[in-house]
Amino acid sequence: MMQDVKINSYQFLVLVILFTIGTSILTVPSALATDAKQDAWIATIIGTGIGLLVIWLFITIANWFPHLTYVQIIEKLFGRWIGKALSAFFVFISLLYASELLYYFGIFLNIHMLPNTPMVVLNILMAGIVVMGVRLGLETFARTAEILVVVFFVFFFILVVCISPEIKFENIQPVYEMGTKKILQSSIFYVIVSSVNAVVLLMIFPSCVNKMKQGKKTFLIGNLIGGIVIIVITFLCLTVLGVEKTAGEIYPSYELTKKINIGNFIQRIEGLMASLWIITLFFKTTLYFYVSVLGMAQILNLKDYRPLTLPLGMITVVLSLVIYPNIIYQKHFDETTGNSLTLSIGLFLPLLLVFVYAIRKRTE
Amino acid sequence: MKKCMFVLLILSSILTGCWDKRELNELGIMLAIGIDKVEDEYRVTAQVVVPSEVSTKTSTGRSPVILYQENGGTVYEALQKITKESPREMYTGHLRMLVLGEDLAEEGIAKSIELLSRYWEIRSDFYVAIAKDMTAEELLNVRTTIENLPANEMFNTLKTPEATSTSTNGFTLDELIANLTSDGKEAVLTGILVKGELEMGSNKQNVESITPAAQIKYDDLAVFKKDKLVGWLTERDSRGYKAILNNVHNSVTAISCPKGGKATLEIIQSDSKIKGKINKGKPEVDVNIKVKGNVEEVECQINLNDQETIVELEKNTEKQLEKTINLTIETAQKQYKSDIFGFGEAIHRSNPKEWKKIKEQWDEEFSEMTANVKVDVKLVHTGTEGNSFLKKIEVK
Repeated sequence: MMQDVKINSYQFLVLVILFTIGTSILTVPSALATDAKQDAWIATIIGTGIGLLVIWLFITIANWFPHLTYVQIIEKLFGRWIGKALSAFFVFISLLYASELLYYFGIFLNIHMLPNTPMVVLNILMAGIVVMGVRLGLETFARTAEILVVVFFVFFFILVVCISPEIKFENIQPVYEMGTKKILQSSIFYVIVSSVNAVVLLMIFPSCVNKMKQGKKTFLIGNLIGGIVIIVITFLCLTVLGVEKTAGEIYPSYELTKKINIGNFIQRIEGLMASLWIITLFFKTTLYFYVSVLGMAQILNLKDYRPLTLPLGMITVVLSLVIYPNIIYQKHFDETTGNSLTLSIGLFLPLLLVFVYAIRKRTE
Repeated sequence: MKKCMFVLLILSSILTGCWDKRELNELGIMLAIGIDKVEDEYRVTAQVVVPSEVSTKTSTGRSPVILYQENGGTVYEALQKITKESPREMYTGHLRMLVLGEDLAEEGIAKSIELLSRYWEIRSDFYVAIAKDMTAEELLNVRTTIENLPANEMFNTLKTPEATSTSTNGFTLDELIANLTSDGKEAVLTGILVKGELEMGSNKQNVESITPAAQIKYDDLAVFKKDKLVGWLTERDSRGYKAILNNVHNSVTAISCPKGGKATLEIIQSDSKIKGKINKGKPEVDVNIKVKGNVEEVECQINLNDQETIVELEKNTEKQLEKTINLTIETAQKQYKSDIFGFGEAIHRSNPKEWKKIKEQWDEEFSEMTANVKVDVKLVHTGTEGNSFLKKIEVK
């Protein structure tokens, strides 16, 4: 097993930040504005709060087994056969999400930038780097993340500064019109997308992070920083574009960057700004893919996960092409089936783990 | 292996982006689109740049733009047909103007602009205008002198602060759609027309003489109800509209002096706040406008060195602005019954519960509601001089 791989807590922090921002930066503003209207930004704040609770649950579990990965924990607690079945389910879903993110990447470029390029080409290009990154190992792409997170935050800062003159506070008034129920409901979606999914990080968190104590803190802080980025993006979308436009657009953040115009000089930089989510999408995909490859290797008791990367990479690309017939289906899938899948591996399974762990401890 | 990677790297740097490549010399850059309704079809007119005429080296004096025109059941269909006439692929990323014909506007504009908000290549930073008393096709058929490209001339005229200061105002597609979709606000658009002889517009002589026979000119604002054109504001009402919506920077207003005669004021800063409230179950708005201005012209006998005079001028200006604004609100309420100022939005912001009750019959509520207008004018300076030389020669 590749258990000698260790990343430090800063690298882990960076990975958590990029994972949390991941796809949320593109999809959350419009999904939340559809239901919570001008109060979507409040929903993201509440969602970040609830998300931290979920992360706390993950940390608790990780704390009990500081040297095992999630797949190994499941196997240890549920026994060999049930454990393997549950792990296989977990691995399958993270592979599914890896291909879903490839689809996100391909369809975004297809809609906004390269309409004539077939999606298969775009997905192969992205999957190529993802597979390469995973083959080179966790340490390598954690270091890459260390560099690219700087790029991300520089662009993010430029975006915030350049767009701030366009903010109109009238767009988010009246505040709290939709009431607690609607806001809570829509914040749940956000929690699922950016925090519950973070269960896959349990594959690297306790076992591959060199300092357990700091690791715990960075898991929470990383999630919080990612959450703040999403809060800011949602707030900007609402105040600059208005509720109707934010809810109507498929990728409101991209529309936001189109609005940047400083003195007719700094303008039309949306292509550059798109690297914001290309970076986060890449790392989220890589993490999903790494987790599924590593998980599968551990289920099958392989010595090394690398032989699995190429075949699984091909499967991911093909899956990403057939997974959704169209983008409306994708939206619908994310809001229904996707949510249930995520909840089952990210919330119910951990809770079940806690339950079984408690019983086992008592019987011992 | 390393050599192989090296070759691959070099290849990738030369061969990137082949799929969606679009060379500049293969694109026809579309600068303006005009949409009219002809019977049941849309007639789309596209103004496309003739590249050789834009560069100074190869220019031969032919028209710098060419008009393509097609009919179609939908806007995109018509736009697509243009490819049959043009040797180049149409590129809409640099669209400057969208002109909608008055007939189309009367029937409703929403359907015709849907494509433009959805199509990936189009950015929403162009202006939308209504061709007053004519079709969009006729309007786009006029050559202009200062800017070689008519669409650029239209765009820049609307953009310069001075132009926005008079009675016209530019609206981008985003603003238009925001106004169309908002519950408590109706849309307004810029009017544009051709001054002079329309038929002469497309001729070369039009740009050769000092006084062009046909000139493009912005006019007053068009009032919409939902997406249908219901009428035009007069120049005075357009000013009032802009004052309420906080767009009167650099605008110039003539005011009457205390003892007869006129003076002109330039507004350098204005800050308007619309506050909605429910008073005894009836909707009400407070419009508070703070204006800073300079005296720029004095055509009457006043003593500008006296503080009293300044105060009096300020009072006169306040009165006059309040009157204009009140009359504008009345026009919108009584004549068009269209809430172009966003008073409904203001009430929604301050009192969402009451707004829900009155939302359905907002048109009636709007035409009955009271608006308390208060203008506060501060004069900053009087130009480069104190008292006018008119005082010396005592011109009456």
